[in-house]
This record gives sequence, C-alpha cells and structure tokens, in this order.
Amino acid sequence: MSARSYLWLFLPALALLLLFILAPAADLLRASMFDPDFTTEHFARLVTRGVYIDVMLRTIRVSLIVAVCCTIIGYPIAYFINLQPRSRQTILLFLILIPMWMSILIRTFAWIVVLGRDGLLNEALAAVGLIDEPVRMLFTSGAVLAAMVQILLPIQILTCYAAMTEIDFDLIRAARVLGAKPRQALMRVFLPLSLDGTITGLVIVFMLSMGFFITPALLGGRQDTMIANLIEFQVQRLNWSFAAALGLVLLLLTIVMIVLLRGLGRMAARRILKAGL
Amino acid sequence: MNKLLLGAAASVMLAQPVLAQDKVLTIAGSGGVVKEISERVFLPAFEEATGWSTKFVAAESNILLEVRTMVASGQMLYDAMEVSASAYPQAVREGLLEPIDYKLLDPNNELPDKAKKEFGVVAASYSTVPVQRLDKNPEGRKMESWSDFWDVEAFPGPRSLKQQPEYNLEFALLADGVALDDLYDVLGTEEGVDRAFDKLDELKPHIPVWWTSGAQSVQLLSDGEVFYSTTYNGRVGKLQESGIDVEIMWNGGALHTSHVGIPKGAPNYEAAHEWVRVRTMRPDLEAEYVKHLPYPNFAPGLFDAMTEEQAKTMPTYPANADLQFVANEEFWADNIERIRERFDEWLLE
Amino acid sequence: MNLMKASLGLRIYFWVVVAYMIFPVLIVIPVSFSSSEFLRFPPQDISARWYMAYFNDPVWISATVTSFRVAVLSTLISTTVGTMAALAISRAPHRSQTPLTYAATVPILIPHIFIALGVLILALRLGLTDSEITLALAHAAVAMPFVVLITSAAIRQIDPTIERAARVLGADPFRAFRVATLPPLIPAIVAAAIFAFFVSFDELIIAQFLMKGSETLPMRIWADLRLDISPVVAAVSGLLIVVTTLAMMIAEILRRRTVRTLAP
Repeated sequence: MSARSYLWLFLPALALLLLFILAPAADLLRASMFDPDFTTEHFARLVTRGVYIDVMLRTIRVSLIVAVCCTIIGYPIAYFINLQPRSRQTILLFLILIPMWMSILIRTFAWIVVLGRDGLLNEALAAVGLIDEPVRMLFTSGAVLAAMVQILLPIQILTCYAAMTEIDFDLIRAARVLGAKPRQALMRVFLPLSLDGTITGLVIVFMLSMGFFITPALLGGRQDTMIANLIEFQVQRLNWSFAAALGLVLLLLTIVMIVLLRGLGRMAARRILKAGL
Repeated sequence: MNKLLLGAAASVMLAQPVLAQDKVLTIAGSGGVVKEISERVFLPAFEEATGWSTKFVAAESNILLEVRTMVASGQMLYDAMEVSASAYPQAVREGLLEPIDYKLLDPNNELPDKAKKEFGVVAASYSTVPVQRLDKNPEGRKMESWSDFWDVEAFPGPRSLKQQPEYNLEFALLADGVALDDLYDVLGTEEGVDRAFDKLDELKPHIPVWWTSGAQSVQLLSDGEVFYSTTYNGRVGKLQESGIDVEIMWNGGALHTSHVGIPKGAPNYEAAHEWVRVRTMRPDLEAEYVKHLPYPNFAPGLFDAMTEEQAKTMPTYPANADLQFVANEEFWADNIERIRERFDEWLLE
Repeated sequence: MNLMKASLGLRIYFWVVVAYMIFPVLIVIPVSFSSSEFLRFPPQDISARWYMAYFNDPVWISATVTSFRVAVLSTLISTTVGTMAALAISRAPHRSQTPLTYAATVPILIPHIFIALGVLILALRLGLTDSEITLALAHAAVAMPFVVLITSAAIRQIDPTIERAARVLGADPFRAFRVATLPPLIPAIVAAAIFAFFVSFDELIIAQFLMKGSETLPMRIWADLRLDISPVVAAVSGLLIVVTTLAMMIAEILRRRTVRTLAP
C-alpha cells in the first residue's frame, strides 16, 4: 500500500481545521493588515510602543521556565509510574489527574491560602521563629510560576508516560546483561527512546503557557502581565485589527520557539548521551 | 400607589398590540447572581404584562464584540441588552444600538433626565469606591479621603487598585487636591495626566497587587491581603455580614451608570421597550432587586419604596452621591488608547 | 540500583510532587463545607450550605451535565480524528510530515477569542447557535492538536514492519491495523483522550460566544467573577473529585473481581 493512500486519514482533521480554524486564522491575517485598506500601522504600533515587545518577551520567558520546570519535575514521575505494575499505574495516573477537576479559580485560591500574608506558610515560618514580619510570597513571579507549573504538570506527566509505556524494558535488561551500568542503561537506552514524547510534552506545556492570563493576573504582581491580557483588552475595546496583529505575532513567535525547542531538545539529548558514555 | 397602578395599566395597554402566544424576548445581561435575581424579579413581571416568555442569556465582557458580529451578519439574536458604563459610548459610536423611543417608553415623562440617554436607559448605578478594613487601621483613626488613602505614614499597609488607568487617575488627582468639579478639566490636559501619574508613582510601592475582577478585590479585602482597596459598592454589605470589618468611603468615589439598550436590528423592537420599562421604571420591582444587589436605577419613587437604613447604602443616596464624582465615560472612550498604553508601560517599570 | 524497581529516593520524590499537585484538594474540601458567603480558610463552621445551593439550583446542575455531555462528545470526535491524522502524518512522505504536523497544531496557537468569533459567525450563518454539537465540534478542533502530537510521538516508537507483516500474511488493512498497530497505541490514545476531555470541560470563551440559552460549567463558574467567587465553586470542585474518585474505586474493585473470577 502506498503512502499516498493513507492520506485520506487526514481528511476528517482537515475538515475540522477548515471549518473552525481556517476562517479565524485567515481573519487574523486579514484584519491585522487591512483596516480597511492595507496598512502596516498596527505592526508599527506594536514595534514602536515598547510595552508590547516587552510583554511578549516576558511571556516567552515565563512559558519557557514553566515548560522546563514541568519537564524536569514531571519526567521522573512518569518514569516512576511506568515502573509500577499495570493496575497500580492506573491508580497513580488518576491521582495525578485529580487537580484537573478543580476550577482554576479554586486552585488559585488555594495558593492564596498557602502563600498569603496570613497564609499557612507565613504562619508556619513565624511559629518556628524564622520570621517576625510576613514575607511577601504572593503577587510575585515565583507564585505565578509555582501555580502554573502545578496546573500544567499533569499534562507533561501524561505525555511522558504515554511515550514511555511502549519502551521495551527487555532492552534495558539486555543493556545491563551486556555490562552497562544502570546509569548508562538509563541514559543510552531509556532516555533516547522516551525523548520524543518528552519534547512533545515540553512543547505542549510551552504553547499552553503562552496563552495563560488568569493565573498570572490573580497571583502575580504588576510586572507579571502576559500578552493574552493585552490582547483581551484590545478585543474589549473592539480594536480588532490591532488585537489580530498581536495575535499573529504571538502565533509566529510561538512557532519559532517550538522549532527552536525541538532542535535544542535533540541537541541536549545528544549531549546527555555523550556524557552518559 | 395610584401612579403604580397607572404604570401597570399603561404597560398592559402598551403591550396589547404585540401580545401573542409563544413569543420570546431574548435579553442579554450579566450572568451569575445578576441573572438569578433578574430572572426572579423582572422577568415574571414582564411575562405577566405581555404574555410573552423570556430568555435571559448570560453574556460577559465580550458582549460588544458579539453584538457587532451579529449586526454585521444581519442576524440579531438579542432583543435587549445590558450596556455597561464603559461600553455605552463605544456601542453608540459603533452604531450597535437602536435609539430609544421615549414616546413609547415614557409617555408621561416620569423618568428623570439623567436616566434617559439617546440609546439606552439607566438600569443600574454603581460606584467604584475605596474600602477600608477598619480592624487594620491605626488605633482610633479612620480614612476620610483620597489623601488619607495616599498617606502611607498615617495608614500603613498594603493597598490595591484596579489594573487600569480609568478612575485611578481621577483618584490620584483628588488625592493631590483637585476639586471634584475640576477633575476632567485637569485630566483633559497633558499636564493633568502627568500630574496624576506622578501622584500614582508615590503609591506604586505600596500596591502589591492590582486587581482585575470585582471578585478579586473583594477576596483581597476578605483575606487581609490588602487593607485598603477600591471595589464596587455591591458586595461590601455581604463582606460586613460575614464578619469582616470593612467600610465604604463614599468621599471621592466614582459613580457609574449602566444601561439597558436595544441592539440594532433587534427582532422585537416594541416588546423590547416594554422590557426596558419593566427593568427601569418599576420602583416596586427595583426595590426588591436592590435588596440583593445594591445597584439602583432611577425608577420614579424608588427611595420611597425602601427603608431609610437600606437607602443609605445606595450609591445614589443623595448624601452619598454628593460626595462622589460622575465618571466621565466619554472622556475615557476618547483617551483610553494612549493612556492605557502609558499605564501598562508604567506598570512594567 | 535496580532499574526495573523504583529506588526509595524516587518513591519519596514521587509523593512529594503528588503532595504539591493535590494540596489544593485539602484546602478546597474544608472550604466548601463553610457557610461563609466568601471563600475563607480555615472555615469558621461546618455546613452543607453550598452543596445544598448546588443541588437546589437547576442551573448549576444542568451546567454540569451540559459540560459533561459536550466534553464526552468532543473527546470522541477529537480522539478519533486526531489519531487518524497522526497515522496519516506518520505514513506521509518524510518531507511533508513536519508541515502537516504544524498544520494540525495551529489551533493551539490561535487565541481562543479569534476562534470563538469565527465559530459564532459560522453558527449565525447556519443558524446553529446554542447547539451542543457545534460546541463539541469546535472544542474537538481545539483539542485535536494535542491528540495529534501525543499519538504521533507514540506512533514513531512503533515498528511499521509488524503491520506490514500482518498484511503480507493476508490480513486486510483494517484488521492489520487493529491487531498490529492499535494495541501499542492505546496508552497514548487514552492520554490524549483525557487531555481532550479537559480541554473541552474547562473551555470558556468559545462556549460563551456560542451558547445562547444553556450554560456550561465554566460559564456558570466565571459568571460571578465580576462580583465575587461563590463558594459553590468550591463545592462543585469537591463534588467532582469525590464522584470521580468513587467511580475510579468502583471500577477498580470490579476489575479486580473480574480478574479473580477469570483466574483458574
């Protein structure tokens, strides 16, 4: 059977994309450049007023940190779950998914309870005499990071886990039999095989972070604005063209970042492989 | 009482020509509690008066975009809609609203002039007001003005303001000694805007968080994350009832009005007027409504339908209204773009 | 160190991270039993007030049911369509694989408000506003990229020669796929489906634009944001967790029992 004959499998996806995504994407492109005649005014405004570029860069930075944290924290968790017997795996995965049933609003509130002025952490620190005055933990970039990682971690764990289940543990056993040290076996056999899924998880978390704005708005300080906040404001003002320009630049930057991330991920993997020798 | 009966009779008469079975009036407005109370108080009255049934659609912050899309596509799904204070000038400029026919709505001229706009009738008044946690104040002291709000020596502690320039610039100017009546003259000049930002500079280090939704500001006060914050007047009473020692400072608050309007191309223009009447001109219904949500309108005789104690908590109660300024939404519609950019840059500094 | 068994260190690490992930539950459940009008921790008293409020309010209940219905439908659509697309991509000529993957990924990259507006225009044109099916389809479009990405990663691990072997041995393409390719993909497909479910279950903006009558759970939850966060939101979160935990436990007990009866 030729490769071409499988392409019909893509048709339903294409239909969904055409129906629901193509029109908005085309509108994004059109609105950003025609208002109603061709104009580069919106892109010019975006570039010349420092705030937009500034916030974009901040958004990328936060998203990168969140994605990397989720990967580093989540990978061993997925690995651990994968080591368990099948029946226990289901239960552990279920445990990981519990927080997703809670509205983000409520999870944000939980962070306020812990990190607040009169919060649990401040009270605990005061009780053991480490601090006299409440320490400001809420409304900081740190609080935003802690909460975003918490929200997105299940996604990274799930993605890593899905990629790991298919790895044949016999390969690792074989490596061990052939005299590889445990670390070597892990680095040279297991890691490369699970890498694709891990980078996919990293990319997904990154993309989702780029669109976040509720959590940063509720837990962050004045400098934790995300680009989605600015887009929202422009939409509410009915500045559709400028909002579209912002959306388009966000889209392009995200794609560039994904290409970079995938490339860097592979490069880092090669490094680890060499070091593992 | 007579007036009330007359009003009811008039509304029945008005409704006659459009009375029909299985006719549905679709109304877009805020969701949540607002929707709940509206469905309990106003919708039955409208249904009784007209024989129509109703559908209340919860529409949130993007309602103007939605309505603009419906206007453009020539398919208006709403008969009437809530138009918030800041949305009104925008909706008018974009041509999204039908003019109100006051001959149809208010033939006896009962509504005061301030309730009647060309494209909408005032359905609710609310205030952006500073609120203080009395229990966090220094012994025996109480904030009386915006200058006190700015005085971090006399009133130490974290504060919060809404993350937007609107009304905050006015508050800053009031703290800087500008009189209520001169606010928009000062703000209309470049120096006035500079002056407001300079004043905000003073307070910036004492504002750990800038709130973005009404719920957040209330929660911040309730948790004690901040001691002083602006908020909408609506939920302060509930905060007090739940044992939090807070108090509204009406002095220097910003008074807003939100409207009920009829979107362009609404399928039931005349019946929509009957809805507008029920929503804005029935003191009996409105008195019930403000028991739950203290956002009064200008229904004739509304304050007579309330107890004195309740009336005092209303933003439009004369003693409260006199202390506040009426927010100039036109000014903001004209100037928000550039000031907002400056404000966002200022926040990141 | 045995690679096939988790070390003590890894075990401890696992539970620390789990604690970090689920501590909100330990705060939300007590808060949901408070009678206070506002979210307060620790709760001052114990009452079922907000649970009663939930069960006595048809709007909350129907919003929950609607959200479940839409999410399940949307999950079925996006998982099927997305897995098919991932298969197509894996078998496409090598140079067109990357462009196809990016094409299928675009929906994540467009801010939802733009998609919402596009969907509204479409629905107005077709007279399909307030339709759960339209909403489920739109959610499926938004969730599909996740399915494509997750299943693609798994497909790349699978040896295509097995399916080819099955074909050579006379299996028809569908059977070859079902027997050879599908089973090892199941974990990835399940992961993708879970994902797709929550994408739809939590989605707010498209639902707001499309649903003119019935509400979804996120619509109901966020409707109060202008005034205050109702503790009902805590009660709903608590309920969902309890209900899903119970369902999970029952499923597990049933599974064990089946295993036992099947055992010789």
